[in-house]
Amino acid sequence: MNSNKFFSFSRFYRLLSNDILLNHKKYLLTIAGAFILGFIVIYLYMPNQVSPYPNRRFDASRYTNLFIPCLFGLAAFVGSSFSELSSKIKISNYLLVPASTFEKFLSQFTIRVIAGTIIFLVVFWVDAHLARIAVLSRIYGIDGHLAGPEKYDYIEKFHFSMLLLKIRYPVITNWRLFEGIGYILTFFSIGMFLFSVKIFFRKLGLIKTGISFVATFFLIMVVLMVCFSHLFFPETKGFNIANIYYLLSNGYYNNDIFQYSIAYLAPLFLLPLGYFKLKEKQL
Amino acid sequence: MIHIKNLSFHYKKKSPLFNDFSLEVESGRIVGLLGKNGAGKSTLLNLLAGLSQPTQGEININGFVPFRRNPNYLADVYMVPEEFAFPPISISTYIKAFSPLYPNFENQKLNNILEEFELQPTSNLNKLSHGQRKKFLIAFALSTNCKMLVFDEPTNGLDIPSKSQFRKILVSSVTEEQLIIISTHQVKDIDTVIDKVVVIENGKIIYQENIYEITQKLYFDLVPSLTGVENVLYHEQCPLGHKIIVPAMNGNESSIDLELLFNAIINKKI
Repeated sequence: MNSNKFFSFSRFYRLLSNDILLNHKKYLLTIAGAFILGFIVIYLYMPNQVSPYPNRRFDASRYTNLFIPCLFGLAAFVGSSFSELSSKIKISNYLLVPASTFEKFLSQFTIRVIAGTIIFLVVFWVDAHLARIAVLSRIYGIDGHLAGPEKYDYIEKFHFSMLLLKIRYPVITNWRLFEGIGYILTFFSIGMFLFSVKIFFRKLGLIKTGISFVATFFLIMVVLMVCFSHLFFPETKGFNIANIYYLLSNGYYNNDIFQYSIAYLAPLFLLPLGYFKLKEKQL
Repeated sequence: MIHIKNLSFHYKKKSPLFNDFSLEVESGRIVGLLGKNGAGKSTLLNLLAGLSQPTQGEININGFVPFRRNPNYLADVYMVPEEFAFPPISISTYIKAFSPLYPNFENQKLNNILEEFELQPTSNLNKLSHGQRKKFLIAFALSTNCKMLVFDEPTNGLDIPSKSQFRKILVSSVTEEQLIIISTHQVKDIDTVIDKVVVIENGKIIYQENIYEITQKLYFDLVPSLTGVENVLYHEQCPLGHKIIVPAMNGNESSIDLELLFNAIINKKI
C-alpha cells in the first residue's frame, strides 16, 4: 500500500505552514486577547485583603473555579476548527487543497487542539502567576495595612497538579487519579465534539453540537443500561431498567464508574467519525 | 486523460442529472464545455475535480479516481470556480502559502502573467475588484502547471482587454501534457482557443467534435440574403444579413462561429 497518499511529512509541513501563513494574525490576536482577558479575570477574582478565616484562602479550589470557566475560551478556539467548511465556496477550496484528508484533519487537530491547549495552559499559568504577583504587592492585612509575609500563604502559588489532585481530596490515591483523568477525558470528549462541529453542521453548529452531545450521551447511557438490564437481570421486560446502585470499595458508586467509562471512551469514536465524515464530504 | 464510463449522478432529493454518461478526452487539448443553464456543466466539473461522488459509473483521470482525493491527484488538478473567496491577505502571501502545495509551480511564469494582467504582488486580494481577483486566480492556476485545469466561466467579470489577454496567455502557457476544460456561456470569449467542443444537455452529450473536424465538415459564412444559398443547415439574422452554416465543400475552411454552432446544436439542426 502506498502510504504517501495518506501521510507525508513534507506535505503535512507545507499544510501547517499554509495554515499559519493564512491565519497567523488571527492566532496572535487570539493569544494576546486571551492573555489580557485571563490576567484581568484572575486579578479581579483574587482578594484585596487577607481574611482571618482559613477557608477563605486562595487555594486549589479557587484556582479550579477560575480554570473551568477559562476552558470555555479554549472551547471556543477548538470550536472554530475547520472554519473553511462554513460556506460552499470555501468548502470546494478546502477540499481541493493538495493534501490527504488525514493530513487536513491532523493539521487542524495539531493547531486547534494540541497547540491551542498548550498555549492555553501556558497563558493561564503565566496569568495566574502575574496576577498573584500584582495582587500580593497591594493586598491588605487583617489590620488594614499592607499585608506581611502571611500573604504568600494566603494566596497560594498556582501549579497544575492542584487542579487534578487537590480538588476535594488532598490525599492522592489511584482512584482520585482515575477521577482526575476522567475530568480531562470528559473535557477532551467535549473538545472533540467542538472540534468536529463544522464537519457535521455547516449552520448553527454550536447549538446542533450541544443537542447532539447531550442526545448521544444519553442514548449511549440508555441503550447500555437497557442492554445490561436484560443481560444481568433476565426478568427485565422491554425498555425497563433494572439497576442496583451501590458503593464500591474504592469509594465510588457503580453508576459513577459507568458514566466515567462513557466519557473516557467517547473521544475514541468521535475522532474517526469526524475523519470519515470529512473524507466523504461533497459539495 | 479523462475517461468517464456510464456515469450517473443526482443531488439528494433531485432527479438524475447524469444518466449513463460517457466521455473520453485526451491530454493536450483545450476543451470547451458548453450547455444551457442547468445542463450539468458545473456539476460535471465538480465530479472531475473530485468534489462530488458519482452515484454510479466510473471516472478515471490520469489513473486516479477523483473522489478519492488522492493528494497526488489534487496536486495535479486546479479548479477556477465561477464563485470564489480569498482570505484577507496580499497576493504575495497567498503565493507563499499555496504555491508550495503544487510541486510543478513556476514562480517566473506567475510573475510574467501578473505583469501582463497589471496586478501588483503587494495588493490585498480582498481590496481588488472581482475581475482583478479572477485574473489573479487564472494566473495562479496556469502557474501551477497542473495536468488538468478546470475553468468554470473564466471570462465572467473580465473586461474586454482582459478577455483577450486571457486567451493569449492560455494558448501560450498550455503544454501538450495538460488538459484544459473550460465551461462557459460566453462562447465567443473562447472560440479561438479551444480545440474540442463538447455540448451537454439534460446530462447527456449531444455533440462532441474537434475543431479541425468541424471546419472540415461545416462552413460558417455571412450572407446579405438567403436567396440563392443552398443547403443551409442553420441561419440567424444579424444586422449585416444572415449568419449561416452550410456543409463545407471542396476543402473550403472558415473560422468557426461558436455561438452560431452552439445555437444550431441546441436547435437540433446539426
